[in-house]
Amino acid sequence: MAKKIVVDPIPRIEGHLRIEAKLNDSNVIEDAYSSGTMWRGIEVILKGRDPRDAWAFTERICGVCTTVHALASVRCVEDALGIDIPVNARIIRNLMNATQVTQDHLVHFYHLHALDWVDVVSALKADPKQASVIAQSISSWPKSSPGYFKDLQQRLVGFVESGQLGIFSNGYWGHAAYKLPPEVNLIAVAHYLEALDFQKEIVKIQTIFGGKNPHPNYLVGGMACAIDPNKDTAINIERLAMIKKIIDDTTTFIDQVYIPDLIAIAGYYKGWLYGGGLGNYLSYGDFPETSLADFKTLLWPRGAILNKDLKTVIDVDPRDASQVTEEVSHSWYTYANGDGKGLHPWKGETTPKYTGPKPPFEHLDTDKKYSWLKTPRWKNHPMEVGPLARVLVAYAKGDPMIKDTVGLVLSKLEVGPEALFSTLGRTAARGIECKQTAGFMRHYYDQLVANIKTGDYRTFNSDRWDPATWPSECKGFGYTEAPRGSLGHWIHIKDQKIQEYQIVVPSTWNASPRDANGNSGAYESALKGTPMINPEQPLEILRTVHSFDPCLACASHLYDMNGNEITSVKIV
Amino acid sequence: MKYNRINILGLGNVLYGDEGFGVSALNSLQETSTFPDTVHFIDGGTQGIYLLDFIESADAVIVFDALIPLEYDRRVYVYRNDELPDFIHRKMSSHQMGFSEMLGIAKLHGKMPQQIVMIGAPPKDLELNIGLSPELALLLPEAVEQGRSIIEGWLNEENY
Repeated sequence: MAKKIVVDPIPRIEGHLRIEAKLNDSNVIEDAYSSGTMWRGIEVILKGRDPRDAWAFTERICGVCTTVHALASVRCVEDALGIDIPVNARIIRNLMNATQVTQDHLVHFYHLHALDWVDVVSALKADPKQASVIAQSISSWPKSSPGYFKDLQQRLVGFVESGQLGIFSNGYWGHAAYKLPPEVNLIAVAHYLEALDFQKEIVKIQTIFGGKNPHPNYLVGGMACAIDPNKDTAINIERLAMIKKIIDDTTTFIDQVYIPDLIAIAGYYKGWLYGGGLGNYLSYGDFPETSLADFKTLLWPRGAILNKDLKTVIDVDPRDASQVTEEVSHSWYTYANGDGKGLHPWKGETTPKYTGPKPPFEHLDTDKKYSWLKTPRWKNHPMEVGPLARVLVAYAKGDPMIKDTVGLVLSKLEVGPEALFSTLGRTAARGIECKQTAGFMRHYYDQLVANIKTGDYRTFNSDRWDPATWPSECKGFGYTEAPRGSLGHWIHIKDQKIQEYQIVVPSTWNASPRDANGNSGAYESALKGTPMINPEQPLEILRTVHSFDPCLACASHLYDMNGNEITSVKIV
Repeated sequence: MKYNRINILGLGNVLYGDEGFGVSALNSLQETSTFPDTVHFIDGGTQGIYLLDFIESADAVIVFDALIPLEYDRRVYVYRNDELPDFIHRKMSSHQMGFSEMLGIAKLHGKMPQQIVMIGAPPKDLELNIGLSPELALLLPEAVEQGRSIIEGWLNEENY
C-alpha cells in the first residue's frame, strides 16, 4: 500500500519547511509536496515608507541572508531613481558579496549539509593513524597528524559520554545510507570544527566595510564607509592589509580543506546520483564589472537552460512582464483577477488567505492550496536557482574558470557531466563556486587598491539623495545572485514613498508548490524517484532538500525552554 | 580586570512584534548606559551560527531574547550559566542552527564564556508588525534593569 511520509520541519535550515512524500511499495518516492509553513509579509511592512530606508528592513527578513537583501534593495532603488554609484562602491559591494557567498557556501557544506553524508558517531571508531594517512594523501593541509586526530576523537568521545552529543544529536547515525569509512568521517568532523573557527574570520570583511555585522550598513547611492589611506577611522592601509590576509587564508582553506573534502566524500557517493529534478536552470547573474544594467559584463553570467540542454543558453530579462511571474493557485494568497494567473512582480499582490487545515493536522490537502510560498515561474517554466544553475549557465557559456574546475572535479571523480544533474552535482557545484568566489575576493581587492591608488576615494553619489530631485513616479528592479540563488526586488515609488515592493527569493523558486498547470517546483521534482532505505529516518529527503540550501524566512528566533521544536517524521 | 570583554547580545526579529524584544532591550540599555568600552553591544537579529564569535570572544555574555519559559507566566526570566545547558539538551532538534546550537558548539570547542546570562520574556504578539505589544513594552524596563545590574556587578568584580 502506498505510504505518505511527512517531515516537518526540515532540520538544519533557516525557517519552516514541510515535505510530504508519497512512497510506492518499494519505498521509492513517487511524488512530493513542498510547503512553506510561515508567512513572510515584508512587502506589506514596506508600503508607504521612504525607499532609502527599505534596505534596512529587508536586511531583517532573514538571519543568514542579511547583506543580500540589503544589496538587492539599494540596487532596485538606484535603478528606479537612475543613480550611478561610484567605482569604489561597486567594487566594495562586489567584494562584500563575494565574501558573503564564500562564507555561506563553506558554512553550508560543513555545518548544514555535511552531516547528511558524514556519520559523526562512526568517527568515534576511526583509527587516527589511518585518518592521518588519508588526510595527508588528499591535501597538504598541515593539521593532519595522527596526534591531532587522536586528540579530537578523545574530545568527541568525552562529549558523547557526558551525554552532550549536543549539536550532533539530530542525526540518523548508523543509517545504511552513510557510506564513508570511519576515518573519513573523523576527518570531516575535524574540518567541521575547523571551518567553524575559520568562518568567523571571513566575516570580518563585512564589518570593515559595513561598519558592523551581522547587519552591515548599505546606502542608496553608494556605500557608507569612507576611504582614506592615511586616516584611522577610514578604510586605510592597515585595514586593507587585514582584508588581504583574510582573503589569502580563505583561499588556502578552500583549496586545501573544502575542495579535497568534497572530492573525497563525493567519491564514496558517486553511485547515489538521485535528486536531479527539473533540469531547468535560471541565473540573473551578478558581479558587475561596470554598471549593473550592462549585464554582459557580469562575471556570473545571466541566462536560462531548459531540459538539461547545455548547448543552448536562453536570454533572461526579469523586467519583461511575460518572463518572471508569480501565481498563487496552490498558495495561501488570493489575487484580484484569478489565483492561477501569473503576475509580474511590478504588478504583484500580497493578500494572504489561509485555507489550509487547522493545526494540528495529519497532512495538507495538496490538491488545493498548501503553501505560504507563491509559485514563481520563468516563461511558465518551473526553474531551479542556485549554485548548480549558475555553474551550468557559466559552463554552457564557456566560462574558462568554471570549465576547468568542473572538468577537474569530474575527472577526479571519474564521472561525466551528466552526473552534475543530481543532489551530489548541486553539492559539488557549491564547492566549485566557492573556489571561484574566493578568486573574486582577490580580484576585487586588487581592483579596489588600484582604484584608490589613482586618488579616487569616492564611495557615495549624493546627486539624487534629496527626494525633491525624484520623479513623481518610477519603478526599479534590483537583483543579486544570493548564495542560494537568484534574488529580485521590484519597487514602485510614487510621491517619494514606496507604493509597492515585491521580493522573489531564491527559496521561493526552489521550494515553490505546484503551478496552475500542475508542474512541480524544484524540490518536489528533485525528490521524485529517490529510494528510501528507512522511511522512518528520511535521510535521503534531507540530503536532497539540504543540497538546495533552503532558507525560508526565519521569522522566529524564539527560545523554547520546553524543547518543542522537534522535527517530526510521520508515516500516514 | 576579571572580564576583559563583555558582550551584550540582542536577539530576535524586529519585524514580528514581540519577537523583537531582545533587540529592543539591547537598544534601550545602550541608549541609557555609560559602560566602559570593554562592554560591546551587538544586535544579533536572527542569526544562528554566525553569532558564534560573539559568544566565544567574550569572557561574559548577556543575551536578551524573547523566550518560552518552562512554567508559563508573563514576566521577565533570567537564566544563568548552568541553567542554560538544560534546555540546550532538550532543544537539539531545532529547525535551524539557532542560538542553542551555538552554545553547544562553544562547549565542544571549550570556548564557553565564564559567565552567560539570558534575560527574556514570553511574547504576546508575534504578528508581522514593528514594535512591542503593550504587555511586553511594560516588561522591557525590568529586563533592561536586570541586565544593567548584572553588568555593573561584573564590572565591579575586578575591585575585590
